[in-house]
Amino acid sequence: MNLNIFKYELKHFYRNKAKFYSYIVFMFLSLYALINVYNIKEKQLDTINEIYNKQEQERLKVINWYENNQTGPDDKSWVNINDPFWAILYNPTYVIKEPSELYPLGIGQSEQYGFYKQTKRWSSTYDTDMAEEISNYERLINGSVDFSFLIIFLLPVLYIILTYNINTLEKDLYFHKLISVQCIKVKKWLISRLLFYLTLILVSINSLIITVGLTSGGFEIMGQILKLIFLSNIYIFSFSIIFYFINIKSKNSSSSSFKMISIWMIFCVIIPGSVHQYANYKYPGNFMTDFLDTNRKETYEVFKLDNIDLHNLLIELYPRLENLDNFKDQNLKAQAIRRSISAIINQMNIHAANEIEIQNENKNKLIKSSYIYNPVSFVQNLWNSYTETDYYAYKSYRFQVQKSITVRNELMLEEIWNSKVSDKKTYLKYIQTLKLDN
Amino acid sequence: MLTIFKNEWKAFLRNKIFLFFSIFFVLLLIITTYFGILQNNQQIINQKSAQDHIRNQWDEMGPYNAHSAAHFGTYAFKPNSILSSLDEGVNAVTGIVLRLEGHKQNDAAFSESSQSLFVSQFGKFKISLLFQFIIPLFLIFFSYNIYTSEITSGRLKLLIVQGNSFKKIIFSKILTLLSLAGILLLFSVLFQLLFNFNQIGVEELLRLSIFFLAYILYYSIIISFTVLISLLLKNNTSALSLTLICWFLWTIFFPKTIGSFTEDLTPQSSRFLLQSNMDEDREKGIDGHNPEDVRIKELEAKVLREYNVDSLSQLPINFSGILLQADEDYGNKVWDKHYGLLYSNLLKQKKHYQISGLINPFASLQNLSMASSGTDLIHHLDFLSKAELYRRKFIKTLNNEYTYGNFKIDGGNLSSSDFFKSIDDFNYNGLSIHKIIVKYTLDILFLISWTAILLLLINAKTKKYLINES
Repeated sequence: MNLNIFKYELKHFYRNKAKFYSYIVFMFLSLYALINVYNIKEKQLDTINEIYNKQEQERLKVINWYENNQTGPDDKSWVNINDPFWAILYNPTYVIKEPSELYPLGIGQSEQYGFYKQTKRWSSTYDTDMAEEISNYERLINGSVDFSFLIIFLLPVLYIILTYNINTLEKDLYFHKLISVQCIKVKKWLISRLLFYLTLILVSINSLIITVGLTSGGFEIMGQILKLIFLSNIYIFSFSIIFYFINIKSKNSSSSSFKMISIWMIFCVIIPGSVHQYANYKYPGNFMTDFLDTNRKETYEVFKLDNIDLHNLLIELYPRLENLDNFKDQNLKAQAIRRSISAIINQMNIHAANEIEIQNENKNKLIKSSYIYNPVSFVQNLWNSYTETDYYAYKSYRFQVQKSITVRNELMLEEIWNSKVSDKKTYLKYIQTLKLDN
Repeated sequence: MLTIFKNEWKAFLRNKIFLFFSIFFVLLLIITTYFGILQNNQQIINQKSAQDHIRNQWDEMGPYNAHSAAHFGTYAFKPNSILSSLDEGVNAVTGIVLRLEGHKQNDAAFSESSQSLFVSQFGKFKISLLFQFIIPLFLIFFSYNIYTSEITSGRLKLLIVQGNSFKKIIFSKILTLLSLAGILLLFSVLFQLLFNFNQIGVEELLRLSIFFLAYILYYSIIISFTVLISLLLKNNTSALSLTLICWFLWTIFFPKTIGSFTEDLTPQSSRFLLQSNMDEDREKGIDGHNPEDVRIKELEAKVLREYNVDSLSQLPINFSGILLQADEDYGNKVWDKHYGLLYSNLLKQKKHYQISGLINPFASLQNLSMASSGTDLIHHLDFLSKAELYRRKFIKTLNNEYTYGNFKIDGGNLSSSDFFKSIDDFNYNGLSIHKIIVKYTLDILFLISWTAILLLLINAKTKKYLINES
């Protein structure tokens, strides 16, 4: 690399208003995007705090009932919190998907999903309250300005603006032969010039990633930060290689810019759009009728079963229950069985949800198989996985939700079938049992 | 002017790059339109089959308790219109299944984009993607040097010497490029007509015309703007850079930032807060499942007075049904209050976004494109509102049956299956474009104004050129 060429390029960059201001605008946009998503993260954290406060208040209310020897709310005399069924029912649980430390660096698919859910014994992972946070749909289709968007989609454009006329402007003005005359190898000269812009870009974005990453999560997440840096650098480097060949082969600056924009258009718009269209043709939007059947028709069929059938079904699903024989009073036994129906429905919901996950996974497999010729989607999904905002991050969140529902139902079964009585101490124990590490 | 126009076309047809891209676009258009229609029709079939599946379950229910049937509920599946294949609009991000049941209003769930990994930032490869992102870019590349290339080649002087005015030359070139875009647009419209021939009516023709005109206006803006920049800067590189920067600002940056800004301007509460507020309001009303509710006693006294009896057992009707409907009516008021505000805020945000057409013609185009394809926010809210109206009618019918028991079997709790079969299914009739087009006046005005102003500026600039040159 020739240092003089590097120095000359710095001067040229500084003096060229179009290039200089494009760079400044890009950096300004990056800061704007980081602040924008940081604000979204703060908003989410505010909502999460509100949820925790509400949960705490509701639990305190029940603890007060225990302390004041009250059995439940004044206007609901049938509620008895000494009965584990009601004690667990009046023990609200929320499963939260907290934004990751690297969230400001990539909003990913997070706007398509909800990030909190109150889990009840009848809940499922595809309840309507799992829907995304309230947003304007027309705004959602345009998406948010976030850092990953800028790096993956706009940075190549900035690189085009900065480099499209290198070697081609000289050809436009017919003095490109002067370069060879000056005993400089054109390729070496071109690489040196391109390297200046590549270095400028990489240093700029790496600084931003490191600053935001460290501010957000400290050195503990250094591994994740390095992964993001590596991914973004490889991505830009790949574009720069393609653009190098365009620079060297093009006959003039119009031709090079046209080719570069076409490359951008093909990789960032046309290929992902075509894959999206094909994937949707192959796996159209799922109306989830199987799940709806479970959620409704099959659930109602379970309700129609008599107690003996329900009892057998419960023992089949929860073999641990078999050895419990605490019900001499047939009415109480019948009540316990009816109260256990949600545990049966939960198993059915798990099965139905797994079917949906399998269908979704088939679509994902198709998308992943396109990565070989659709690298931009690959990079975006990898980036989203680092910032924990991809489909799988939310799939794992759905599993957390399911775990919470199952724990609640199993706790209820355990307590009801053992004819337990609940008091403040057991209520506090329930809180611990229902609490998931999320 | 016609001669220059013809000559321009001849030159274009001799240009290998132009020919290549023209053929490429036409092929792309055929494939895109074909797959778009295929996928859209598939979705229409799936929606219909899901709807039938749910209806069959309802019809096969047999004798059933009317209130249990209200809990059993039904589903509304968001239908795709035949023109959704042009522009998917908000359909990819909105839920497509809406559960309609007693006591509560649900949100539409299971959006398509939540069902898989991320694929495309700019949406599926539909007609709208081609027309909104790709064709304008190529129009820019074809038009940014139409002035400078004529000067450098010396052809401009030759044409002027032949008695053509500079204005005529420039406008002929603009017209040539516009006619090229127009042909591609026309192809797309014709394909729609061809593939959906049996389903195209006056409504669809009107929508296609709006779609066509909106894009033609936008392309006029893109071409005129590029030519104007080229006339002003008289330098290929600068003209191209500036036009490309503007294109990026219009199509990528502004829609995102202004969209976020309009949300900040009319903030919405979080779903959690909205639900908490609704729960709070709901608690102030009658709870149909709480016999100890004091408001129930008041209603009970009122009904007893109406029927001139002393106790509920003497009533010829089922009081629980009246109670449930009262609970429902109150819940509807609560929903109207909170969701009314939510929807009105969404529309306010949309209005603010429409104003951005003043600096960004792409916003106006995007709005008109979605509106004409029936995939904008207004159409979606209309679907949700009509589904809610249906839910109310559906639940009221069930509550009335629960109360008055016209179809009850042998005086028991169960109503006959004929009753359930007699309840109509939710059949969504979409909005007619002439009813909502007035809401897009601003977008139409902005597109026309942008076109007119740019053409006037080019007119002025070309006059100036002649004076200078002479």
